[in-house]
Amino acid sequence: MSFDEVITQLQGLLGAQHVLHRPEDLMLYEYDASVDKGTPGAVVFPSTTEEVAALVRLAHRAEVSVVPRGAGTGLSGGSISRDRGIVIVFTRMNRILEVDVANRRAVVQPGVVNLDLSAAVARYGLYFAPDPSSQKACTIGGNVAENSGGPHTLAQGVTVNHVTGIEVVLGTGEIARFGGKCIDTCGYDVTGYFTGSEGTLGIVTEITVKLVRKAEAVATLLAIYNTVDEGANSVVEITAEGITPTALEMLDGLTLRTVEEATHAGYPMDSGAVLLVELEGLREEVEEQAALVRGVCMRNGAREVRRAKDETERALLWKGRKNAFAAIGRLAPSYYTQDGVVPRSKIPQTLRYIAEVSKKYGLTIANIFHAGDGNMHPAILFDLRDPDQLKRTVAAGADILAYCVSLGGSITGEHGVGMEKNALMPLLFNETDLDVMHRLHDAFNPGVLNPQKVFPTPRSCRETGSASLPPELRRRP
Amino acid sequence: MNDQGVVSGLEAELTGILGNEHVMPCQSNLVIDGIHTQLCVEPATAQEVADVLRVANDRKLTVIPAGGFTHQGYGNVPPRADLVLRTTRLSGIVYYDAGDLTIGVRAGTRLADVQNAVAEHRQVFAVEAARASRATVGGALATASHGPRKHSTGGVREFCVGLEFVTGDGQIAKAGGRVVKNVAGYDLMKLLIGSHGTLGIITSANFRLMPAARQTATFMAEFRTIGEAVAFRERVVKSPLSPISLELISPFAEGVSGQSPKAWTVAIKAGGSDAVLARYRGELGEDLSRELRDANEAALWSSVVEFPATMLQLNQRAMLLDVHMPAASLEPALTEAEKAATAHGFIFSAVGRAAVASLTLALSPLPGDPPSVTQYVNALSAIRAACPADGAVIVRNCPSEVKKHIEPWGSAREVESMRRVKRTLDPNDVLNRGRFLP
Ligand SMILES: Cc1cc2nc3c(=O)[nH]c(=O)nc-3n(C[C@H](O)[C@H](O)[C@H](O)COP(=O)(O)OP(=O)(O)OC[C@H]3O[C@@H](n4cnc5c(N)ncnc54)[C@H](O)[C@@H]3O)c2cc1C
Repeated sequence: MSFDEVITQLQGLLGAQHVLHRPEDLMLYEYDASVDKGTPGAVVFPSTTEEVAALVRLAHRAEVSVVPRGAGTGLSGGSISRDRGIVIVFTRMNRILEVDVANRRAVVQPGVVNLDLSAAVARYGLYFAPDPSSQKACTIGGNVAENSGGPHTLAQGVTVNHVTGIEVVLGTGEIARFGGKCIDTCGYDVTGYFTGSEGTLGIVTEITVKLVRKAEAVATLLAIYNTVDEGANSVVEITAEGITPTALEMLDGLTLRTVEEATHAGYPMDSGAVLLVELEGLREEVEEQAALVRGVCMRNGAREVRRAKDETERALLWKGRKNAFAAIGRLAPSYYTQDGVVPRSKIPQTLRYIAEVSKKYGLTIANIFHAGDGNMHPAILFDLRDPDQLKRTVAAGADILAYCVSLGGSITGEHGVGMEKNALMPLLFNETDLDVMHRLHDAFNPGVLNPQKVFPTPRSCRETGSASLPPELRRRP
Repeated sequence: MNDQGVVSGLEAELTGILGNEHVMPCQSNLVIDGIHTQLCVEPATAQEVADVLRVANDRKLTVIPAGGFTHQGYGNVPPRADLVLRTTRLSGIVYYDAGDLTIGVRAGTRLADVQNAVAEHRQVFAVEAARASRATVGGALATASHGPRKHSTGGVREFCVGLEFVTGDGQIAKAGGRVVKNVAGYDLMKLLIGSHGTLGIITSANFRLMPAARQTATFMAEFRTIGEAVAFRERVVKSPLSPISLELISPFAEGVSGQSPKAWTVAIKAGGSDAVLARYRGELGEDLSRELRDANEAALWSSVVEFPATMLQLNQRAMLLDVHMPAASLEPALTEAEKAATAHGFIFSAVGRAAVASLTLALSPLPGDPPSVTQYVNALSAIRAACPADGAVIVRNCPSEVKKHIEPWGSAREVESMRRVKRTLDPNDVLNRGRFLP
């Protein structure tokens, strides 16, 4: 089938107004929020699960790939088409289908924006816990695909801990429903397995999520330090004390100064690091823990520990954190954010290593991260127009991630592997590990769905791969 | 070749891998639904597990993975059982990073050993199962065991952060890692947890630990009816309190420490300072009948975890069911379940997580009046009918002759997808053949 024929069929399926194919219309969909790029062949906007299934079947017939896309805020190139395939966007599948207050569940379509769900259920005193900093824009479909986290997922858990059921169009074009309002069902936990699979096993068309009750009391503390080490040591000690804050976020000196200039959150310009600690729970509990946290921070050399007096002050402290990446954007034409994870006890040495990397490669690195779970986000500043800088940036990023792995950590805590880090997967997994994952990939996705992601490319030819599939699907594009 | 020839050829091959002393005739107590196994092997490394499974895979044998043999009541009667693979020698803590609240253990490690090791550091390993001094970590993962802590920590799927396992065709694979947050690669932990030994043999696993509360207290409230108990649960769930456990205990839940035979009891375990505990008293108010501390408190919670084992010990012919459902269905479902059990000649009892609505139901035969197979079958189908489709009613134990007449798992949905997973990881159907999905 020629691509023109594909376009005609897509238009027949969805209506011409829901298919984009002119180069100027496609440009918007060449990027996500990472540094990667790729032009799709067409962008389509289905409105039902059946249409999504028909799209996947059409892709099979036409031997073109399909790539699901939410808001395109992903940081690993997950929603970029690498081979001029069809990008499926969910802006027309953005309804909250059900709010079940008695069971504390919501059933949503994948295009629902994360924050919109929390807003819609706020009147019941409930919210959707995963809160990526991009929550004003990113979709729940994207959250499920990436198993996204956020500042408050330290205590509440990441997306997979909040999804109890999904409807999916498998890479084979079949529609399936796993789980439901109850995560414990008979059979394998395919819901959990699909969550975080980055759109490489199926396209999620409906999601059942948990809703969480708002806590009675919240305390937001800001500890100010002269050095990053003091802040990092406080994190280690807070964890060891057995306190689980709902959020534990750190900004280094460079970041906090930049953020301060942009948002005037009240971070002292001459400090070396700030630690943002949020505690939630019973009033009594929060007060006790706030006192403990203050003690830990002061013992570790904090200059000062501030506490938000009211919601306005709290919002201001958070504004700095939530807009940090936007602020970093002012420092250099581009920045490249890493997402490595280390055991929490190893944060201080990891920060020292990142400082060395910065010197070694001659690049400025700003650190801002989810300290409570050891999820580092060093942002490497560079100029995309300078090929040498880009090369050094990518090398510096890989260097940091290799270090994280050497400490028993991971190359990604929440942004996903995508097309950005797939070449680094062998740092974590050997050939057999990857082969087993590959086999499980092929069981649901013979190849049209989001190809050349997650796994190191080029994919080696293997015999066993699609043995469990019906013969007509044992094909690789 | 006759059966004897198969066994001796096989024995020689296995001995070559494991040495004489770790290939042995099966002990007579390792019987599953009346099916005896000839041989038992005890590998000590993941590599040995892989070597054994390759042999089984080549010969298309069936292998029964086993830990402490405490949760083998699940599933269909095995059509064949050639080998029991015990994880006894795959034991020990691989690493324990108390500062990071993470631990890695080998699959054959006893739950109690891990629980005790971390308790010394005032931390909690939240995997719970009956007979913790025999049950193993691998078995608890495979059966997705849970206890009262599930209320606050969620099931083991929520805090198992990494896994190593061997596929049915003998490949050693791992997923996840050691750190508490990680999205690299597929989350195969989710597939293996609750797979009842049908997708792979788990050889080791890594977990997030929880800090232990400095002190705890347990508040008991007793009600005449399930309706009142569930109304109380709703009050707790809507209050600002966030207890460690929120447990429902029915009348006749024998063996549960201090349980009154007539009442529906809600037990709330809380942790925190004196001020926090005082707040619980204040919020829960006059509904509270008792407060347990120290030894009494510990006795209650261990008897709650032991409930399924106790009920079976009291009556070998009891039928035990694991039920899961959306929280709002609990009252109507349990009301109907109790009626159905009584109507078919059983004594009904239930213990489990009131708010997550995951419970164990026990149907115990009346003394002196053993129910017929039909009575078991009818009681089960009436209970299934009373429980919502969004959930599960899984038979945990029942007499072997009953098993042949029931679906122990209920009706699984999306069986074709499940089969795809199974065929991918265990192409020759070596692992627990016939015991899981239809
Ligand atoms: C400023 C900023 C801050 C961020 N902060 C965080 C943070 O705190 N924590 C965090 O975890 N992430 C964060 N992110 C990353 C990103 O926002 C998340 O990964 C988010 O979940 C992506 O959602 P999206 O709708 O934009 O998905 P996209 O970027 O469009 O897609 C992401 C992946 O999901 C797949 N996908 C999308 N929809 C579906 C579907 N329906 N079915 C199957 N697959 C699908 C895509 O193919 C792709 O692989 C941040 C990004 C930015 C730009």
